[in-house]
Amino acid sequence: MNNFALGKYVPYDTWVHRLDARVKIIAVIMLMVAVFFPLSTWSMTLLVQGTLLVLISVILACTKTPLHSILTSLRSLWVMVLFLLLIYILVPKAENTLGIAWSVNGWTVYWDSFAEAARIVVRLVMMIMLAMALTSSTKPLDLTYALQWYFTPLKVIRFPAEEFAMTISIALRFIPTLLEDALRVMRAQSSRGVDFAHGRLSKRIVGLTSLIVPLFVSSFIRSEELANAMECRCYDPRGKRTRYRKLRFHWGDLVAFLFAGAVMAGVIVLSALHVDLFALMGIVAL
Amino acid sequence: MPIKFENVSYVYSKGTPMEKQALSCVDLEILEGEFLALVGRTGCGKSTLVQHLNALLNPTQGTVYIDSFVNSADKKKRDKKTHPLRKNVGLVFQFPEYQLFEETVVKDVAFGPKNFGDDKETALAKAREALLRVGLDESFFERSPFELSGGEKRRVAIAGVLAMNPKYLVVDEPTAGLDPAGAKEMMDLFRNVHQSGTTVILVTHDMDLVLAYCSDVIVLDHGKVVKTCKPVDLFGDDVTQYSLQQPMLFDFAKSLGEKGYSFDAATLRDVSSLAKQIAQGRKK
Repeated sequence: MNNFALGKYVPYDTWVHRLDARVKIIAVIMLMVAVFFPLSTWSMTLLVQGTLLVLISVILACTKTPLHSILTSLRSLWVMVLFLLLIYILVPKAENTLGIAWSVNGWTVYWDSFAEAARIVVRLVMMIMLAMALTSSTKPLDLTYALQWYFTPLKVIRFPAEEFAMTISIALRFIPTLLEDALRVMRAQSSRGVDFAHGRLSKRIVGLTSLIVPLFVSSFIRSEELANAMECRCYDPRGKRTRYRKLRFHWGDLVAFLFAGAVMAGVIVLSALHVDLFALMGIVAL
Repeated sequence: MPIKFENVSYVYSKGTPMEKQALSCVDLEILEGEFLALVGRTGCGKSTLVQHLNALLNPTQGTVYIDSFVNSADKKKRDKKTHPLRKNVGLVFQFPEYQLFEETVVKDVAFGPKNFGDDKETALAKAREALLRVGLDESFFERSPFELSGGEKRRVAIAGVLAMNPKYLVVDEPTAGLDPAGAKEMMDLFRNVHQSGTTVILVTHDMDLVLAYCSDVIVLDHGKVVKTCKPVDLFGDDVTQYSLQQPMLFDFAKSLGEKGYSFDAATLRDVSSLAKQIAQGRKK
């Protein structure tokens, strides 16, 4: 529970932390686009994705997120990785560019399948790293304000941008509270002999109920209290709101924005024009 | 030695900007049969200390011995099987009423014993006994715990721990939010439990309770043990430095003393013992 790495803001003061939340969101989206763009050959994929991986690792290192926390969040992905590998090996692939891994009784598996599975895993890892860099360096409230800013033009078509932002910020605000509640109930039930990690499945299910039911009860109580408190402060969802802390755009933000944009544009160009740098340089591609 | 802390330190979120030292170099002993009060200002490390008794937390440094169980910072020396320990040390957290989850009161109370290996019948029998002990009669047994009042819910939760027949009972702020009569009943219950042979460790801010019920007191401040003594000895000193308050009784006796009455502070426990001394003083 405590190594809940994704989504936890860590209050350092790095240049990533100081970037405008709006820029960070759009930059993360652009880099994700770059990560997910397909490339023509495997060697190019290796080159581009490798560069991106290094780039994203550097960004994440700049936020001072300990790299082993990535491994922790990857641990839960294990099952998925195995499943992916299995699917790619069982389902025959038409293309053969990397050679045959094995061929038994007409069941032919190309190395492409492994490469494909690896590519998906690396993409996922990069996506998680990007999300981690964003959430660990941005206060949840700033994220919400940034989202609200992006949704403001939608007000023209009567999209409730402010209510939407309020809902998200309440949800975000209560993640640590509910986590704390969960930990508290977990501690209480463990001292009554519940073992959440080991034991028979049926026992563990009962153990889980002993955690979930109190959590439901307390979150309902909390939501009622919150609703009352908001009423008491005359909350009006349609009211116009001002803000103490305003998001500000600095020249550093522009640089970050342009850089992420350039990366995305570069990858798109490489992908769309089927550029093969290795062929251009006269190296025979895989 | 039943319970012994040896040079125990605990640090929350070590290695992050949120790092916080909750306990530093705590040495203490708790004997069998004590009714111990653990006091100190908010955030002084009481709850952290208490969680070491149940191996819910492992020390960052040092060792906690609970009977034969070793809870050490050194992973190799630490006992792995927490089950027997948790059966021995019953922990009642603050606001325990939020941990109820079963359909009926008696089932919820039987949850603990069942986890510790009792069969259904034995567990239910223990649950009924524990419920009667906390003052909830048969009419409550089959009701849903969610339709009870706050005080009744808390009793059910405490019964849930008592039903495990722990050798040590640790209660964190059991009287918080209860009305005065409810608080007194609650404390009488713990006195009862103590008299039947259980070692009770009470975490509280209420010095009147400490004076009236406890045999020993440990004062924590900024994660350190600053005083281990009998309650009367504690209140002889200036306790405001630990953000504590004199019990009302002591304040009263003190101002009476300034008016010329003399008291033997060592036997002051509650209103009746004070009244007795006043009456005796008059007879003289």
